[in-house]
Amino acid sequence: MDDRDKERAVVEVTHRVMDTYARDPRKVEQALFDTLYEERLRLRTEKDKDEVKSLVPYYKKIYSRARKASAGEQRELLGELINHFALEVSGHFDPRVYAVATRMMPTALTGLLNTMSPLKFLQGLPRGFDSMDDQLILQGEIEAFKDLAGKGTVVLVATHQSHLDSVMLGWALYRLGLPPFTYGAGMNLFSSKLLGFFMHNLGAYKVDRRKKAALYKDVLKTYAGCSIELGYHNMFFPGGTRTRSGAVERKLKMGLLGMGLDAYIHNLRAKRENPDVFVVPCTINYELVLEAETLIDDYLKEVGKGRYIITDDEFSKPRVVLDFVRKLFSLNSPIHLTVSRPMDVFGNMLDEEGNSIDQEGRVIDRRRYVYRNGRPAFDRQRDMEYTEELAEAIVDAFHRDTVIKATNLVSSAVFNLVREKNPETDLYKLLRTGGPDNSVVLPDTYRRIEATLRSLRRLADRGRIRLDKTVSRGDTVLMMGEALAHFQSFHQHPAMVRHGDRLYHEDRNLIYYYRNRLTGFGMKEVEAGP
Amino acid sequence: MSATKAGGKSAAKAAPRKAPKKASKRAPGLKDLDALVVGGGSFGTTIASLLAENDKRVALWVRRGEQAREINREHTNERYLTGFTLPAKVLATTDLESAVRAAPIVIVAIPTKSFREVTKSVGDYIQGDQVLVHATKGLEVDTFKRMSELLREETCCRKIGVVSGPNLAVEIMRGHPAGAVLASRYQEVIERVQGLFAGGRMRMYGGRDVIGTELGGAFKNIIALATGVSDGMGFGDNTKSLLMTRGLSEMVRFGVALGANILTFGGLAGIGDLMATCASPLSRNYRVGQGLAAGDRLDDIIERLGQVAEGVPTAAAVHSQAIDLGLDMPIVRVVHGMLYEGHTSTQALKDLMTIPVGDELAALRSD
Repeated sequence: MDDRDKERAVVEVTHRVMDTYARDPRKVEQALFDTLYEERLRLRTEKDKDEVKSLVPYYKKIYSRARKASAGEQRELLGELINHFALEVSGHFDPRVYAVATRMMPTALTGLLNTMSPLKFLQGLPRGFDSMDDQLILQGEIEAFKDLAGKGTVVLVATHQSHLDSVMLGWALYRLGLPPFTYGAGMNLFSSKLLGFFMHNLGAYKVDRRKKAALYKDVLKTYAGCSIELGYHNMFFPGGTRTRSGAVERKLKMGLLGMGLDAYIHNLRAKRENPDVFVVPCTINYELVLEAETLIDDYLKEVGKGRYIITDDEFSKPRVVLDFVRKLFSLNSPIHLTVSRPMDVFGNMLDEEGNSIDQEGRVIDRRRYVYRNGRPAFDRQRDMEYTEELAEAIVDAFHRDTVIKATNLVSSAVFNLVREKNPETDLYKLLRTGGPDNSVVLPDTYRRIEATLRSLRRLADRGRIRLDKTVSRGDTVLMMGEALAHFQSFHQHPAMVRHGDRLYHEDRNLIYYYRNRLTGFGMKEVEAGP
Repeated sequence: MSATKAGGKSAAKAAPRKAPKKASKRAPGLKDLDALVVGGGSFGTTIASLLAENDKRVALWVRRGEQAREINREHTNERYLTGFTLPAKVLATTDLESAVRAAPIVIVAIPTKSFREVTKSVGDYIQGDQVLVHATKGLEVDTFKRMSELLREETCCRKIGVVSGPNLAVEIMRGHPAGAVLASRYQEVIERVQGLFAGGRMRMYGGRDVIGTELGGAFKNIIALATGVSDGMGFGDNTKSLLMTRGLSEMVRFGVALGANILTFGGLAGIGDLMATCASPLSRNYRVGQGLAAGDRLDDIIERLGQVAEGVPTAAAVHSQAIDLGLDMPIVRVVHGMLYEGHTSTQALKDLMTIPVGDELAALRSD
């Protein structure tokens, strides 16, 4: 975002967020004091001394003014806070880095990078850059995606399993010759130069997840909307966070997702020449997930409760990341990045020209969805429902374009056998203990794999799922070999190991995690309980 | 609208009969409509009449030119509403394109069998700012889809809704007050359709549970078939009440399993519709049940009825879906047996009466 747009965005964000509160003095007062409370609470335990030193007096001053302020003055103070957050968010978007990142492979950055520079990272791989190209398989609606980026503003929405997803997306955009996409990334992703490089290549701005105030979240969301409106392609993970269970996302965060529609309506109302906003879902699938152990552990611990932010997982250790990627590459384990069919902000599919089409393939006038009395208009309830419908279409695309790997299928077979042997044991105890028998028989596992594969093939034939090469080939022995090789290569404890004709389930949490990728497709072989 | 040949006293004003006009293919006045009703069966015509009575500019799309001419010239629809005079303002047309393009609100009242085909044609002309509502109580047999799902699949519309409730067409045409529920995900749909009926004889309540509203309307037809059988066998109100109550229990279990809100079944689209349909000889499904009790063949009963009884295909759809869902639904099972497996009413009764009894509300308890 150039400086002029940045300034426009800050003004617009301040104005719009203020508008949502300004009409009701009680809402203004509540937002003002809630924000001050949340921020002061946060700063009590903040380790960044510079931040504490600058912000504590600032908030203190606003607080003492707010206590004695009239309704009008409180509104002004709230405006000041909104502006403060908006400047902070936009301030992290560095136009110099953005500009550099749009050029060819930024060798110029080499000098700036520390020991874990992307260059060294790539040199550490068996065949450098080529390795990355070999390993990352870009498939699906690539051409349509590229075309649309020239026709309107694209919002790329991806499944999220690992922090490596951002790296893969950054690399994919670079390889496709597309400019960086604006991306609100958590601050932890900027902590190393390696990650920072890819984040900047995505045109990321920093999101401070420590800030809990609803006002800050409103600012972030509105900032994303304004950037779409100004024509900056956006990327985000609509699931909100990495999938903890390993399953493909079913519930998406509506707030950010709705900003595409919001921008579209603003564009139509402003009669912009190029008002269109397109949504492109994308899935990323790995044979192994770097943070699998931490994620499933968090899922099982916190199931049914609010998640905490994981700050010190595998991804925060560059050496572990490098080790992981090296192993994936040495196992010749492709990562599939599948671009789904693009859609409009209402979830209608697009044809090759970028027209919205209905399920019968008829071209439709998408503008009319937001018309009221012949003019584009906002309608909060209607727009929320449109966004729900968009979310349904994205979830559907996520499932259709999920690529099932050998580790998923083998885990599903083993998990089902273990579960069937222990019908009375509840899930958590089963995962912890594994029951009296710590192994399953190999031929049973093969039979189970074949049964699930039949269902998977039926789904794949109907375009409801994708299978990777090994799974598609259907050779169960080969699949088993591939899955075991992966399981033994990276995780602290292999999920399972083979001795003779038996498979020993060593880390059932991991087995459960990899198996969960097959849930949500309505397969009886997977979903049925004991 | 009024009853001129049958149906007893009219509570509504008699609509003046106008001099017959020559009906053209593109009927005049097909612009700036308030609403279009698609389907000239008994309920479609009733809705159009209600709207016209409420001073709305309404068109009624019918397939056959002859029927359109009858409605426009004679203000009658003898095949479906024998003996009633329709308000003169009901403008019948066979020109679907002009009518759809001219109407901000389109209400589809077409039997399930041809619902998809007609809706697909509507989809050729309708746009995203228009409201699309249906008033059809049934499910697509082959796919088990609800009518709102067909509207979504066959058109580009998102502002979709369903009208359902205890609405026996003949009673409404006689001028009796009535109520229904309009369910939609979109508040705009609720408000705009309520606006059409505001101040009239039809009290249109709003609701958000589209699934429950549609399933309630479809399911009660099966129970009406069963109560028709019961009455036909000479049983009294105790038996009928037993069937209705246990039928409601099956409706709730079935609906909740498919994502409906349990509270919906306590409203007009659930128990309200059930009460009207199961107790009234005006209900087509009830009459099919009576015929079955008399030992008549289903084909003969349907032919005699001259109209669609939605409970017949719906029983097949619900029966098959209940099996897939692993739900035990005895009333649906015996109705299906009578309709499709040649079971007699005596056999059906015996089946129902020999089911083991347990806790009455066990299936509804969540604890």
